[in-house]
Formats: sequence, structure tokens, C-alpha cells
Amino acid sequence: MKPFRSFLLAVLLAAAGAGLAATADAGPTVRDCLDCHGDATIEKSQPDGKTLSLFVDEKTFRGSIHGKAECNACHTDAKAPHGKLAAVSCGRCHADAAKSYSQSTHGIVHAKGVKDVPGCEDCHGTHDIRKVQDPKARTFRLNIVGVCLACHEDRVIEEKYGLPDQKVMEAYRESVHGRALKKSGLLGTAVCPDCHGNHMILPGDQPRSATHRQNIPTLCGKCHSGILEEYDRSVHGKGMRAGIAESPVCTDCHGEHTILKITDPQSKVYVKNIPKTCTACHGNEAIATRYALPKKRFSTYMDSFHGVALEYGMTTVANCASCHGFHGILPSSDPASSVSKANLPNTCGKCHPNAGANFAKGDVHVEVTRQKGGGVFAVRVFYTIFIGVLVILFVLHVGMDLLGRHRRLETKPEEKKE
Amino acid sequence: MSEPSRGPVYVERMSVLFRIQHLLLMISLLILAVTGFALMYYENWLAQVLIRLEGGVLYRGIIHRAAAVSLMAQLVYHAFYMLISREGKRELKEVWLTRRDFDDFLQAMRFNLRMGNEYPRFGKYGYKEKFQYWGATAGVFLISVTGVILWAETFSMRFLPKFVLDLTLIIHGYQGLLIFVILLFWHLYIVHLHPSVFPMNRAWLTGKVDAEWLREEHPLEYEKLKGEGVL
Repeated sequence: MKPFRSFLLAVLLAAAGAGLAATADAGPTVRDCLDCHGDATIEKSQPDGKTLSLFVDEKTFRGSIHGKAECNACHTDAKAPHGKLAAVSCGRCHADAAKSYSQSTHGIVHAKGVKDVPGCEDCHGTHDIRKVQDPKARTFRLNIVGVCLACHEDRVIEEKYGLPDQKVMEAYRESVHGRALKKSGLLGTAVCPDCHGNHMILPGDQPRSATHRQNIPTLCGKCHSGILEEYDRSVHGKGMRAGIAESPVCTDCHGEHTILKITDPQSKVYVKNIPKTCTACHGNEAIATRYALPKKRFSTYMDSFHGVALEYGMTTVANCASCHGFHGILPSSDPASSVSKANLPNTCGKCHPNAGANFAKGDVHVEVTRQKGGGVFAVRVFYTIFIGVLVILFVLHVGMDLLGRHRRLETKPEEKKE
Repeated sequence: MSEPSRGPVYVERMSVLFRIQHLLLMISLLILAVTGFALMYYENWLAQVLIRLEGGVLYRGIIHRAAAVSLMAQLVYHAFYMLISREGKRELKEVWLTRRDFDDFLQAMRFNLRMGNEYPRFGKYGYKEKFQYWGATAGVFLISVTGVILWAETFSMRFLPKFVLDLTLIIHGYQGLLIFVILLFWHLYIVHLHPSVFPMNRAWLTGKVDAEWLREEHPLEYEKLKGEGVL
């Protein structure tokens, strides 16, 4: 028993000693710091004549994610009293975030000493940092857009660094994602970091960027996963995955910051705008030749009844997507395509219930040339010649009739004499 | 004319019923032309203005079809009237095409070109009127058939391949153009621009024509009326 008792005593003494030593080494407590920094009027003058408030609101700090820590957890060199403290290094604890940030366009520019670019505190705050899931956090989904736009809608900064202009940023607010955020506070809507990333933001032209062309389908598919699946099976999706840069990705048809609901007349995929959107590539001579796409799809569509009716306000008529599909477009040579020979009757039948196999014979996009649209071409030529000849004959007849009438009037007096 | 005391004498050429038919025909053909050509030449700025005036493609179609129904009803009514009524039968006899009309035409041409000395003597309707009548009737018939096929497109698709409907559409359009050309060149000439009636033969409004004009242009009819004691 005795040795154990003395051991216990020794442990207790050691513990007390260590405790005392710790208290002596721990430096100031939050309370100590707040003796000065809890005073709302504490401030210091800066070289440019402005004053900087040094006030720390205790309540705000206690409510923050770091509220249980002491001040010197971040301000490692803080003693009382003290002069200017070293910059806080968040990376001491948040190493991953710091590493990502250092590779981002913000981090790279920041490292060059540019002060306009955001560091940790510009997005996360300082003494008021809260978890991203906390609705009061600056980085909460519903608040983050405002944080990004604080700089990205600032014309001075935009011009100084050649950033996309205000219109691009403003477009987001009016986009389907922006409206969902503004009108409904929809947590599922896309906010800036969902597409651009958070610490690791890079411009879209860099292959590592989340918003680089090759990464777009996967990016959008994070939320629109059913559509991504369909897209990946389509000719466009397969082309894109095979590294064909011209193969369209989501943003080529839907836009980026300007994404609108398909029912919005301004949308690139609104029924009336679809033919133009598809034609951006399918009417491009270089693309059409390189990938052996069928030509004159736009003009033959616009000349058809569907095209004319769409142009003049009938939105129920077929546009490109009605027959070809949209996310899952396949070439007509693919048996699974909605416009393959076998499926065409069904596809026409969506609107025209009686259009059977018999109806689907012949070309849909009719090119009126001797080789391709022979029948229509022949009728057109026949009528043109027929009407032309008729007009000539009519004119000749009028001429001759007038001559005859003149002659009749000449001979009339003679008749009367007889 | 030789006796100034006697004013011009007018005789009936179009009865009230025919004038009403003519008026209806004129109205429906005009509506059909305006709405039809607007679609056929949709690329033309005037056509685009017309389509918008007509309330877009949808309402343009409704107007066009309403006028077409009227036109086809007139065609049916006219056919029955010409075959059944007393006046119709008489008129049909007058306007019926005969070998004589072709000979008249050739004779007129010879006379006009000073290759013959006798100008043909026409009855109530000469080759010009008959060409007008039968040309328009045939045209309206053909355009009606193609029009109905296109209108009943859900029904037509059961039997006809798409290329047949494409052909029907193009025939319908050009047939319309043909009728329009006949009206513009032929009808305009014989009842408006021809020096004997310029600026207009008023028969379509008053139903009557000057007996003197009849004697000159349709002498056989003039003599017939004289024989019947109408004149």
C-alpha cells in the first residue's frame, strides 16, 4: 500500500506543478484581451490617416466556430501589452484549404502581394467565422453570392484586373439559378462555389479549372445527374468524352451565367430559339465538313411548314428537339435514335397520331434540288414554266386583241355604208 | 348613238343571284390570296407584315380555311344551280364549251393579224368569257382538292407518304398563283382594261350592260334578245 500511496501523491504533485506551469505559460486569456479590445472605442491611426477599429465584440466571437479558443490560438504572438501582431496564418490548422488556395488564381495573385485579392478573412470573416452550414455564416449557401459579388461586381476591380464585366455577373441574378436563390432561397440551387469551386478557383480556360469545357458536363451532372447520364449516351456526350472539343457541352446550349428556364423566351433553348442554337454548330461549314454532318438542316427546316409556323408564333409545331431529342440526341444511323428509319413513324406520331410507316417514307428535310427533292423540284419547275408561258400568251393575246379591235373600228364605217 | 334623242338602252346580263355569287367569290378569293400568298412568300417583307396583321400563322390559317369553306360551298352551290335551276341550265348552255369556240378563237386571231377578214360573232359568252369561266372553275376545283388533303392532314397521313403531302403543298401554292395570274391578266383585261368597257364593266354591280356594247361585242346575243322582243 505504501509505495502506491506515495506514487499517487507524486502524481498529484506533478499534475499540480504542471498545471501551475501551464497557467503561467498560456499567456493572456480571452478575458485578458477583452480588457482592452472589449472597449468599443479602441482604435489605431493608420499611415493613410484613417483609423482602424481594434474592437472585438465578445458575443460575436463567442458565437463563432472558434469561440471556445483563446485569442493566441490564432494571434500566436499576442501578449499584454503588445505592438503590431504578425498576420494570422489559418493554414497552421487548415493545411488542405491553404494548399488549395495557394494553387488558385486568388492564391497565386495574393502571393504576389496584390491586396485586392481575397484572403481567407475576406470570405470567411475574422472573429465572426461560422461553419458553412450555419445560416449566419458569410459562406452559407444563401450568403456566398453576395460575398463573391462584393468584388466581382465592383467596376474598379473588374477593370483593373480584366475580369468578366458586370453584365456577366448580373446575368446570374436573373438566371434560373439566381432566381431560385433570390425568390425561394432554394438551398439546392447553384451558387458561385458550386461551379467555380471554393479555395481552388481557376479561370475556365485552364484545364484544371472546374469550369473548363471538358469538366462542364460532370460539373452540371453533380446536381443534374439524370441528365448527365442521358447526355453521356448521346452523340454529343460521346464526342465530348472522346476529347472532341467542338462537341457541345451543357453551357453551349444553355448558357453559363445566363441559364434560363426553357419556357423563358430569352432562353437559348426556348422553342423558338432552338433552331438557331443548333445551327450555331450544324450550320458551321467547317464543323459540318469535319464531322460529315448532313447539310442545309436549318434552311430546309425553316422552309418547311414547321419552320414557318414556328417563326410566326406557333410554339406547338416541331422544332429540332421535338424530333431529334435534346440531351440524348443520337444520329439517325443509330437504331436507338428517335429519327432512325424504324423509329420515325413513332416520332412523327407524337404529334400526328395517324402518321404511320407509310407516312415516314421519303426525306423529312426536303432540299428542293433536282437530285434530292426531285418531285417538289419538278412541280416547281413545271408551274413556273407553265405560268410564265401563260403570262406571255396572255400579253400576246391582249396585244393582238387590241390590234383586232382597232381594225374593227376602222372597218365599221364601211359596214354601215353597206 | 345615231339618234341622240334615244338614250342608251340597258339589258340584263347578270341576275341578282349571279351577282351575289360573283361578289362572294370575289371576297373569298381575295381573302384566300392574301392569306395564302403571305404563307407561300413568307420571306417577303410584305408577306411578313400580312402574317402579323392576320394574327400570326395560327389565325392566318383559320381565316384561310374559313374563306376556303365559303369558296367550296359556293362551288357546290353553283354546280347544283347550273344543273338544276331554269336560269342555271340556260346559262350552262350558253357557257358550255363547243368546237365553235375554238374556231372562233382561231378566226379572231386571224382577223387580228389581218390574215382573215371576218371577226367572229359571239353569243352571250365568247371564247374570252368561257376561258375565264372554265379556267377558274378547274383551278378552284384542283386547289380545293389539294387544300382539303392538307387541311385534313391527320387523316391524309394515314394514307399518303410525306413526300406526297410535300407535293400537294407545293401544287396547292402554285395552283393558287395560277388562278391569281388568270384573274390578274385575263379577267382584269376583259372586264376592266378592254377599251370597250374601261374602266370597268358595271354588270357585276348593276347587272346590266349597254345594248350598244352588246351589239358590238356579243352580236348573236343582241340579235337573240331582239328576236325575243326584249330589245
